[in-house]
Amino acid sequence: MSLNVDRASTAFTFKGGMLPMTVMELTSADPERIREQLAGKLSQSPAFFQHTPVVLSVEKLDEPHLALERICAVCRAHKLLPVAVRGGSDPVKQSAWALGLGWFPPQEIKPRNLESVATPAPEAAADNEPVPASGGRIHRGTVRSGQQLTAPDGDLVVIGAVNAGAEVLAAGNVHVYGALRGRALAGIHGDAQAGIFCRELHAELLSVAGNYKRLEDIDPRLLGSAVQVRLSDDQLAIASLA
Amino acid sequence: MAKIIVVTSGKGGVGKTTSAAAIATGLALRGNKTVVIDFDVGLRNLDLIMGCERRVVYDLVNVIQGEAGLNQALIRDKRVDNLHILPASQTRDKDALTNEGVEKVLDSLSEDFDYILCDSPAGIERGAQLAMYFADEAVVVTNPEVSSVRDSDRILGLLASKTRRAERSQDPIKEHLLITRYNPARVDHGDMLNLEDIREILAINLIGLIPESEAVLRASNQGIPVTHDANSDAGQAYTDTVSRLLGEEVPLRFHEYQKKSLLSRVFGGGRR
Repeated sequence: MSLNVDRASTAFTFKGGMLPMTVMELTSADPERIREQLAGKLSQSPAFFQHTPVVLSVEKLDEPHLALERICAVCRAHKLLPVAVRGGSDPVKQSAWALGLGWFPPQEIKPRNLESVATPAPEAAADNEPVPASGGRIHRGTVRSGQQLTAPDGDLVVIGAVNAGAEVLAAGNVHVYGALRGRALAGIHGDAQAGIFCRELHAELLSVAGNYKRLEDIDPRLLGSAVQVRLSDDQLAIASLA
Repeated sequence: MAKIIVVTSGKGGVGKTTSAAAIATGLALRGNKTVVIDFDVGLRNLDLIMGCERRVVYDLVNVIQGEAGLNQALIRDKRVDNLHILPASQTRDKDALTNEGVEKVLDSLSEDFDYILCDSPAGIERGAQLAMYFADEAVVVTNPEVSSVRDSDRILGLLASKTRRAERSQDPIKEHLLITRYNPARVDHGDMLNLEDIREILAINLIGLIPESEAVLRASNQGIPVTHDANSDAGQAYTDTVSRLLGEEVPLRFHEYQKKSLLSRVFGGGRR
């Protein structure tokens, strides 16, 4: 029963993976304007700005030279971590590499106009990668204490319970088909139309677009029941679904 | 190949070591070659609970650092032939454990044993993470109180993400809930969480329920795992737990408060 050392251990393995990533689409190259807007967003939904990795998309900018270093510094000052740049001219690519950032080629599908209000037709997803049309996320199973689940681009659906000490965040709505005992934050990018829905309310904290209520502030009669949470006149309104 | 089972909880003082000793003893009594490893480097306790503290020469850290062979460090149990103990070091700290070292020890033990039980330290730091990293199954020990349940929930999250099976995207660790120190009378009074509440929050398979019992404290102090105390409620509950671990269907006992049964337990040999 001696110790066998024959198993050669490898230091790492490469794995392909699809990770949810927030894309920061720049419509201005002015670091000051970016700073102002970030400061406003930060006060609305501080939970989102926790060293969140972002890809800076400069496809909409028609400028061959960017103050990329200053833009990155502004982002980091607001607890956003730029990890890569998408699109832009060759000098932009070179300066991204010089800053230790990755560079992605421009998106092939023509980017949607931010100003357009009409919902675009769902784009065909790549054959082998089923991506929900809305950018939402579905989680099956219990979200446990200490775990954090984020849907940075859409709705979050949890089929199971969210336990005390867990946190679920979504740019859109949060649906919990089970007991909600942890924290739920909807509309983390400031969408005031977002809502929270759950089967059984025991939440530590509810927040829609930065407006929040703690467990202590919630009418005890609503605890344990199925509810929806919406923003009405800058106040969280909790209504029974029964 | 041995089955590696970690006994863990997050919270301290809920009965991890008592349960690891009792389950290991039960598995060995059923004819399985079993070794129980104390991962609580610096706070060695398992040797006391197993009653072998006077026979410790080398320990887990000595083996990992190449100062002793595995055979020199393994202690054979006095009462059960198939049972061995690998004690922790009392004079070192958890940094003495390395991932590769633990893997080597577990690989070697795997060749000779049917079951390897890893008695995890409390907390969620390095020692606890190493104890669970290579596990195939986990016994999560929980007391009927809110803080213990929350810590168990946290540990279940780590079992699903910070283990070899999770990192290699293999079949997930089989998780079992073991509720200890359950006192049906206090549950009835509302002093303790009840069984159904705990099961609902943690949402995993219940492997056993150990009633609060004087036999446990006595067993710990005597260094005889409570499984040997076949007349005690706790001893029987651990025997049931081992049967369920081995895949048998055993009805749940000791979870309901009945005045009559309490009386009959007092007169019927609950104490000796």
